[in-house]
Amino acid sequence: MFEARLAEGGILKKVLDAIKELLNEASFDCSEAGLQLQAMDNSHVSLVSLNLRAEGFENYRCDRNMSMGMNLASLVKIMKCSANDDVLTIKAQDNADVVTFVFESKNGDRVSDFDMKLMNLDQEHLGIPETDYACVIKMPSNEFAKIVRDLSQFGESIAIACSKQGVKFSSTGDIGTGNIKLAQNSSADSDDKVVVDLQEPVTLTFASRYLNSFAKAAGLSEKVTLSMSPDVPLVVEFKVATSDNDYGYIRYYLAPKIEDEDS
Amino acid sequence: MSQWNKRKPGVSGGGGGPSKQGNNNSGGSSNNGGNVAKKARSNYNNTEDDDMMDTEEMEMAFLEDSEMMDDDMPGHIGQEDETAKSITYEQWDRPSVGKDFSPKTTNLTFQQLDVDHYIHSKPIPGMPGAKIGPVPVLRMYGVTDDGHSVCCHVHGFSPYFYVAVPQNFNASHCGPLKASLNQVILKDMRSNKQEVTEPVLMIEIVQKMNIYGYQGESKVPFAKITLAMPKLIAPAKRLLEKAEVYVPGLGNCPYAAFESNLDFESRFMVDRDVVGCNWIELPAGKYTVRNANLTSKSDEITRGGVSTMSRCQIEADIAYDKMISHAPEGEWSKVAPFRILSFDIECAGRKGVFPEPDKDPVIQIANMVVRQGESEPFIKTIFTLKTCAAIIGSHVISYDNETELLQAWGDFVRKVDPDLITGYNINNFDLWYLLNRATHLKATNFHFLGRIRNIPSVARDVVLQSKQMGRRENKSINIEGRVIFDLLLVLVRDYKLRSYTLNSVSFHFLGEQKEDVHHSIITDLQNGNEQTRRRLAVYCLKDALLPLRLLDKLMCVINYMEMARVTGVPLHYLLTRGQQIKVVSQLLRKAKEHDYIMPTYQGTVSDEQFEGATVIEPLRGYYDVPIATLDFTSLYPSIMMAHNLCYTSLLRPSQTGSMDPDKFIRTPSNNFFVKASVRKGILPVILEDLLAARKKAKTDLKNEKDPFKRKVLDGRQLALKISANSVYGFTGAQVGKLPCLEISQSVTSFGRMMIEQTKNEVEKKYVVENGYAHDAKVIYGDTDSVMVRFGAKTVAEAMVLGKEAAEFVSTKFVSPIKLEFEKVYFPYLLINKKRYAGLYFTKPEIHDKMDCKGLETVRRDNCPLVANVLNTCLEKILVERDPTGAVAYAKSVISDLLRNKLDISQLVITKELTKTEKEYAAKQAHVELANKMKKRDAGTAPKLGDRVPYVIIAAAKNTPAYQKAEDPIYVLENNIPIDAIYYLENQLSKPLTRIFEPILGEKTESDLLRGDHTRTKVLVTSKVGALAMFTKKKATCIGCRSVLKDEKSALCGYCMPKESHIYMKELSTLSSLETKFNRLWAQCQRCQGSLHEDILCTSRDCPIFYMRKKVIIDLEEQDKLVRRFDF
Repeated sequence: MFEARLAEGGILKKVLDAIKELLNEASFDCSEAGLQLQAMDNSHVSLVSLNLRAEGFENYRCDRNMSMGMNLASLVKIMKCSANDDVLTIKAQDNADVVTFVFESKNGDRVSDFDMKLMNLDQEHLGIPETDYACVIKMPSNEFAKIVRDLSQFGESIAIACSKQGVKFSSTGDIGTGNIKLAQNSSADSDDKVVVDLQEPVTLTFASRYLNSFAKAAGLSEKVTLSMSPDVPLVVEFKVATSDNDYGYIRYYLAPKIEDEDS
Repeated sequence: MSQWNKRKPGVSGGGGGPSKQGNNNSGGSSNNGGNVAKKARSNYNNTEDDDMMDTEEMEMAFLEDSEMMDDDMPGHIGQEDETAKSITYEQWDRPSVGKDFSPKTTNLTFQQLDVDHYIHSKPIPGMPGAKIGPVPVLRMYGVTDDGHSVCCHVHGFSPYFYVAVPQNFNASHCGPLKASLNQVILKDMRSNKQEVTEPVLMIEIVQKMNIYGYQGESKVPFAKITLAMPKLIAPAKRLLEKAEVYVPGLGNCPYAAFESNLDFESRFMVDRDVVGCNWIELPAGKYTVRNANLTSKSDEITRGGVSTMSRCQIEADIAYDKMISHAPEGEWSKVAPFRILSFDIECAGRKGVFPEPDKDPVIQIANMVVRQGESEPFIKTIFTLKTCAAIIGSHVISYDNETELLQAWGDFVRKVDPDLITGYNINNFDLWYLLNRATHLKATNFHFLGRIRNIPSVARDVVLQSKQMGRRENKSINIEGRVIFDLLLVLVRDYKLRSYTLNSVSFHFLGEQKEDVHHSIITDLQNGNEQTRRRLAVYCLKDALLPLRLLDKLMCVINYMEMARVTGVPLHYLLTRGQQIKVVSQLLRKAKEHDYIMPTYQGTVSDEQFEGATVIEPLRGYYDVPIATLDFTSLYPSIMMAHNLCYTSLLRPSQTGSMDPDKFIRTPSNNFFVKASVRKGILPVILEDLLAARKKAKTDLKNEKDPFKRKVLDGRQLALKISANSVYGFTGAQVGKLPCLEISQSVTSFGRMMIEQTKNEVEKKYVVENGYAHDAKVIYGDTDSVMVRFGAKTVAEAMVLGKEAAEFVSTKFVSPIKLEFEKVYFPYLLINKKRYAGLYFTKPEIHDKMDCKGLETVRRDNCPLVANVLNTCLEKILVERDPTGAVAYAKSVISDLLRNKLDISQLVITKELTKTEKEYAAKQAHVELANKMKKRDAGTAPKLGDRVPYVIIAAAKNTPAYQKAEDPIYVLENNIPIDAIYYLENQLSKPLTRIFEPILGEKTESDLLRGDHTRTKVLVTSKVGALAMFTKKKATCIGCRSVLKDEKSALCGYCMPKESHIYMKELSTLSSLETKFNRLWAQCQRCQGSLHEDILCTSRDCPIFYMRKKVIIDLEEQDKLVRRFDF
């Protein structure tokens, strides 16, 4: 038996928005520790890792580890039937082939439930080992989303150069070049500050279309953390959190583009 | 008694001979094989301690018998000078010419295979034609009944053409016109190497009629201009048309040219009634034979006679009017025992680069020579660079030096003297490569491969543009007197296939796979030892043998020969020229009989379109009642015959006013033609002849018992049918030799009218009111057929009604138009225009076949999966009448697709790379892939004209399809995920819903494409993605796929109790994979013909290859998985 009750059902909606562009279907791995999802996107260029801790749920019960394959398009349809402040309960029997979503309105006078057929997804579980990164950039997530969106108009790839002074995003294409520099402003304690934790300067280039997909997660959290080291994948991490609750995180891994290679 | 015992001691000093000759092997059949053979045989046994004989070799060994029979062939004749240094094998020779052969007493008859001409500096005394040089001489090459090669010089025929003359032109103008024309031509010539003094031989007035348009009954005068040389026709015509010739009394008037665009050989063949591949007889006493012993001009003077030009056994001279040309009928429809050489070369290329003749050596040349009419080659020889272990049944000749190898092969060709040279893609690769390689190595003697001593063969690039074939870049190679009959070109012309590689072709037609050795391995094999080279040689020999077997199976040679005979053009025109020349040849032959001449048409491209055939709107659905099909036999030819549609009967609208309305007809497209009673057109006559001849050939076919003669007759009736149908096309070809839209649009308009009329007649007569059980309904009709639902319950009833209706409707039309009942479809699935399927009955008891038209089963732009699924589904629906079974089957395939269980070969789509990237307007998958592959390995990348195989791989959302194509082998090797959704939605979905919708109704699509069976998916992990090297696999439970904490265990705690059960399940999967692998491996070993060698084959056309690759990967995975239980 698996049952998880989420006080703010809207969280799952946002999570879904953050991954549906990269994945068509995904296995949610349930364990005592919580709900996890790890999958490569269709083209095997980026990897999504979602972790929703058991503690974040109002109520969490998982008798046995299980893997639930879901078609994300179908899941989106179901989530559309809920309001953002509905309380969501996810239920599944052991060895079941359906998962049930129950939505209760805040005042409890409206309850709707939806069964969704599960899929049997046979895929390898892949993870990227945790490492220390040469530089870690913390910045406002909507700033990140805007930068990525703006620069993707120029070219297919965006270079991220991180140095002591700050971070520079740049892109070159047919119409010209765009550069956006963010200085490190440790002075203010405000929300929109950029913090760089630097061991050594790093410059890496990434495909803009994937960065754009990652930016869809900006709604989940105020802050985004970019971690980079030479020749290893970039990590873009968003906390899944509200003001009063920390649910977990969503991480995206993206391999840097290597010069003279066109894909 | 075996072949090598009789070999001449060929190496006569000078070091020019082969370095090692002792490589022949007698195999098991001959006991007295001599020293050489014994040595070689023991050699064989030493290296492979196995007495098992490879299948390939067994095949070769059968040859022994036929070779031994050849031993009683007479000894060789006149050895040629250039071969003095090299090896000669009597077995290679043609039979010698009997001693009693004498031009005085023997009629020389031979089947001519090729005709060409040359310019001789002076006429031979006693021959007709021009008396001063230079003169054109025609040369015919052929073979006698006894297998002797013949070259015949035909003298005295001069080129000519006609011009229309002004009304006041009379005989007295001929002289001045000739003088004036002579003058302007000489002035026009830039150089005059051949020292032509009198370009125009003669101008005379002849009474002829223009073929184009009816102009009354009387003939009108034309000037026939005879010229000294064929190439003078073009300037003469140009000068006359531009009015640059001044004639006193007439001034400078333009003359319209007739029949000026005909090549000299065709002119001769038409005039002398010579058709392609017919028999020519030189009557005794009327011809002279050249003396092969004379070698120089001085010899000619001192010893008398004429020296030979060719390498043929008999070289004769005759006047053009003395030779007899036999029409290919009766006795003369026989075929001479001409020789066909099939060969294949291997080159040692460099890694990643396609072989280039100035860099990469030729290492092996395999040859097979067969006599027409025999099934087994009588010569099987392979020339190898460096030693090569013996191969049973084949003759291995090795050289240390590549130049020697090439020279020896040149000698071999001259010695064997083949009439036809075939092979696979020899025209564009093998021959071209050999010629360029020989040039590069300065092997000067090599190039003289033809029958004319002093003409070297060279390769030129030509671009052939034709409506039928699209644009093709080809090489044009001249080998005088031998016809290059490249099997690939034949197949590309005649068959629509997914792939034209020799492997897939041999699988398609012979039902057997052939191993494919990738060219990058060839170099390694060559650099190995004599065993690895032997391995390559066996492969190479097979490649030379297969084209012969295919030619035999498809009867290409006979069919092409019959086509040449029917249409009258030389054999090689059929492969190198377009369709029109065939009709022109027939038209001219017929026109000549009636004194018609053909205007020289200036091709202009017009956009004028005319309406095509009609299609009766189909009443779609699934018919579970018999549907009768009525067809017009030879619709277009019979319309032309019935209504006397021809160039010669065409009337201009203005002409009709003054004519008796009974004398002409008005076609539904508002064109006018005179009736046959006024003047019978020649197109109808040609068609009548063709159809009568076909009828005769079919009757003969029925009565003929001899299998070979049956083949000839069958080839003929087919050629006749194709020719009859191409006449219509010729009149509609707008850039053609003589297009006439009035004819072609009249034909189609009659066709449309007739289909409509048939529908009305049938639906009017077969109604309940007239006493029939049901009202008949025409449910569909197209071009020349209508499908009728008579409402009959059984096939037999429908057949009776069909026959009756066909006869009834036929009476409504002008003879010879005839509606015939052909078949009944039951059941019948009518999907759309030109798309239907049904069970085909010609007799009431049992169906003949399942017939599908326009469905994906036959189209090439889909993956084989679609065709296979569709075929099986249709079979289940139509034959087994089990629609539910069909749906279940389709679902299981979809499920397999999503679970990555399908064999990748099922998913390969092929498309031809017809243009370079720049010429394609939109980006296309196969073009993008070809570029990608070029970057990876330029050598194996597809080239222009190749069909590119690809599969669609998974990619990020919204990636355009053209970027998702990938090379199947690359996908297989790197475990790249396939885009199953693409295959489901873009390939399978439409064709499947189309066939299921009429039966199952609306809900088909959702059930098929989104049912429960689609809910299991297997997603593989690519080895080449950018992230691949950073990711780490996490262990999951084998039983329930949940993530495991303990990396080492196989199962989660929950599944642990079921461990033995799960273990057994995985183990059985493993063992079934092992069995599969073993079977596939054995299959490939059998195919390569050796059970104790590694498999080298990487054939992209062979499903086994993909299966074998895939099962290796699966097996490794499964093995790892099972090992996890080992902890």
